[in-house]
Amino acid sequence: MNTAERRVSRMSAFGIAVLCVALAVIPFLTSTTSLRQATQIIVSVLAVLGVNVATGYGGMISLGHGVFVGVGAFATGYYVDDLSMPWLLAIVLGAATAGVSGALVGLPALRIKGIHLALVTLGLAIVFRPLSKRFPSITGGVSGRSIDARFDAPGWWPGDTRMASSVYRYLFCVLVVLLALWATWNVVNSRFGRSMRALRDNDTAAAVYGIDLVSARVTTFAISAGLAGLCGALQVVLVPFVSQDKFPAQESLVIYASAVVGGLGTIWGSVLGVIARTVVGKAGAVVAGFDGLGPIGEFFDLLDESAFVFGLGLIVLTFLFPHGLAGIRQKDRVRG
Amino acid sequence: MVKATPETRLQSEVLATVTLSFVMDYVLLLQRIFDALFNSAIYSSLALALVIIFRSTGLLNFAQGEMATFTAYIAFVLLSGPQPRLTGGGLAGIIPGVPFTIPLAIIGAVICGMAAGAVTERALIRPLGGASDLALVNITIGLLLAVNSLMAQWWGTGPRFFPAVFPSGAGQHFLIFGARLRYSTVGVWAILLSVLVLLVLLLRHTRAGLAFRAVSISPSNAELVGIRVGQTLMYGWALASGFGALAACLSANSVLLEPSMMLRVLVYAFAAATLGGLDSPKGALVGGLIIGLSQTLIPAYVPFIGFELSVLPALLSMVVILLIRPAGLYGTKRIERV
Repeated sequence: MNTAERRVSRMSAFGIAVLCVALAVIPFLTSTTSLRQATQIIVSVLAVLGVNVATGYGGMISLGHGVFVGVGAFATGYYVDDLSMPWLLAIVLGAATAGVSGALVGLPALRIKGIHLALVTLGLAIVFRPLSKRFPSITGGVSGRSIDARFDAPGWWPGDTRMASSVYRYLFCVLVVLLALWATWNVVNSRFGRSMRALRDNDTAAAVYGIDLVSARVTTFAISAGLAGLCGALQVVLVPFVSQDKFPAQESLVIYASAVVGGLGTIWGSVLGVIARTVVGKAGAVVAGFDGLGPIGEFFDLLDESAFVFGLGLIVLTFLFPHGLAGIRQKDRVRG
Repeated sequence: MVKATPETRLQSEVLATVTLSFVMDYVLLLQRIFDALFNSAIYSSLALALVIIFRSTGLLNFAQGEMATFTAYIAFVLLSGPQPRLTGGGLAGIIPGVPFTIPLAIIGAVICGMAAGAVTERALIRPLGGASDLALVNITIGLLLAVNSLMAQWWGTGPRFFPAVFPSGAGQHFLIFGARLRYSTVGVWAILLSVLVLLVLLLRHTRAGLAFRAVSISPSNAELVGIRVGQTLMYGWALASGFGALAACLSANSVLLEPSMMLRVLVYAFAAATLGGLDSPKGALVGGLIIGLSQTLIPAYVPFIGFELSVLPALLSMVVILLIRPAGLYGTKRIERV
C-alpha cells in the first residue's frame, strides 16, 4: 500500500478534530429527547456508509439499503426478546443477519449489473414492507413490534437518571459508529479495498489480475448490508420499537441520495451526506416556523421534507459536482 | 419433518381443496383470468412507456411511475376543481377548475404528461450527454423523490377517490361461460390496443416514426444522415410519458389516487418490461399480460404467497430473467465490449 494514500490528510485531520469536539459537546447541550434524536442522526451515518461501500467503492448501485436497515432492526429485536440474548450479542448477530441477506442479494449481482441491479434493488425496497407484514411473528405485522428488553446503563455507570441512561446510549452508539467508520476506512484502503475498486472500474481487467469476482462482489455487498444492519440494530437500542412503516421505499432512496449527495467513494462523503440531510431538514423547519411568509413559507415547508431537497440535490449535484459535497474541491479528473 | 399439528393438517386440507378446485373449477379460473386482465393492461402500458425510453436512450426511467401519478392528480384537479386542501400548503387551488368530463380530463392529463416528459428529456437528460449509468440513475431517482414529496405536499398523502372511467357498478359486466368480464376491463384493453395501433402506424408510416426507429438503432448513424437526434428523443420521451399518464389515469380508480400509488405498479411494470425484453414493445405487451395473470393466479393457487406477497413473484421473475436471459423474451441480445 502506498503510504501517501494511507496517510490521513491535513484536511481530514481537521475534520476529525471538529467532529470529535462536536460529539463530545453534544450531550451537555441537550435534553433526553433531542439527545436521542441526535444519536439517531449519528447512527444513520452507518446506513449511508453501507450504500457508499456498495456503490461508491464496489460500483454496484443499491437503491434498497433501507431493507438491510430493516432486517437489522427486526433481527436484533427478535434476538434480544424472543431468544433473550444479551444486547451486545444481539446487535452483532442483527448486523450479521443483515450481512447474510446482503450476500444473498450480492449473488445475483454477479450477473446483474449497472442499471439492472439498480432496478432489482429498487424492487426489493418496494417489496420489503409487504414481505415483512407476511411474517408477523418476527416483525409484528402491520402495527410493528415493541421490544421489552431495554438497553440501560450498567450498575457502574455514574447516575441513574433518564439523562444518564441517554448519555450512556449516546456514547455507546457514537463509539460503535466511530469504530465502524474506522474499520471501513481500513477495509477500503486494504488489499481487498483495492480489489473492490478494481472491480468497480473494470471487472474484466480485475479478473485478469487474479481477483476472484464472485467472492469480492458477495463480500462487498455483505459488508455494505452489514453496516446498514448495524444501523438498524442501533435504532432498536435507541427506540425499542420497530415497525414496517419506518421502511418505505422512499427511505431507501433517501439513504441512497444522502450517499450520493455527500460523495461516493470517500468515507467523509457519508458523514457529509448525513450532515447535509440534517441541516437542510432543520433549516427548513425553522424557516417554515415563522408566520406571515405566505408562499415562501410553503416552499420552506417543502424543505422540511428532506426527500424533496435530496431529490433536487441529487439532480443538481449530478450536473455540477459529480463527486458530491466531499468532492467539491476535487478537480473533475475522471468523469464519474 | 412436518408434524401433523392441527395447523399443518388444515393447511394441507386447504391445499388439497385448492388443487381440486384448480382441476375442477374452470369458472373460477376464468373469473380470475378476467380479473387479472385489467391489471395486465395497466402493466403493459406502463411497461411500454419504460420500453420506449429504454430503447431509444438506454436508460430506465425510475421516475416514470411518479410522473404518471402526477398527471393523474392533474386529471383529478381538472375534474373536481380546486380542492379543500387536506394538509398545509398547496398550489392545487391555483389551477382554475373547469367542469371537465372524464375523457377530456384524461386527455388533458396525457397532454400535460407528454409535455412534462419532453421537458425532462430536454432539461435533464440531454445535457448529460450519455453519461454513466450512475448519473442517469441519480437523475431519475432524484426526480422520483422530488415529484413524490411534491405531490404529498400539495395534495396530501391520504388516498383520493378518482372517478371510474368506465361503468363499473355491480351489474356492469358481460357474462362469458359463467364468469364476469367487467366493462372496465374491456374498455381499458380497447384503449390500450387502439393506442398501440396508432403507435405502430406512427412508427411505420410517418417520417418522425422512421427517424425514431433510426435513432433507436444507432444514434450516431442517424445523426449522420441528418436526423435531429435530440429532438427525436424528446418526442420519444413525450410519447412514453403519455403512455404512463394513460396508465395512471386508468388505474387511479381501482388503486385509489395517492402519491405513492404507482410505486408498486412500477415493480410490476418493470417486471413485465424485463420479462418481455427491455427494448421490445411487443415484449412489454406480452410481459404485462403474463405478469398481470401471475399476480392474480399465483397467490390464488399458492397459499404460502397469499395476496399480501403478490408482488414477490413479479420481483423474483425479474431477477430470474435477468440472470438467465437478460434480453428477455423478445429483446435483442446485447454484446458487451470489453
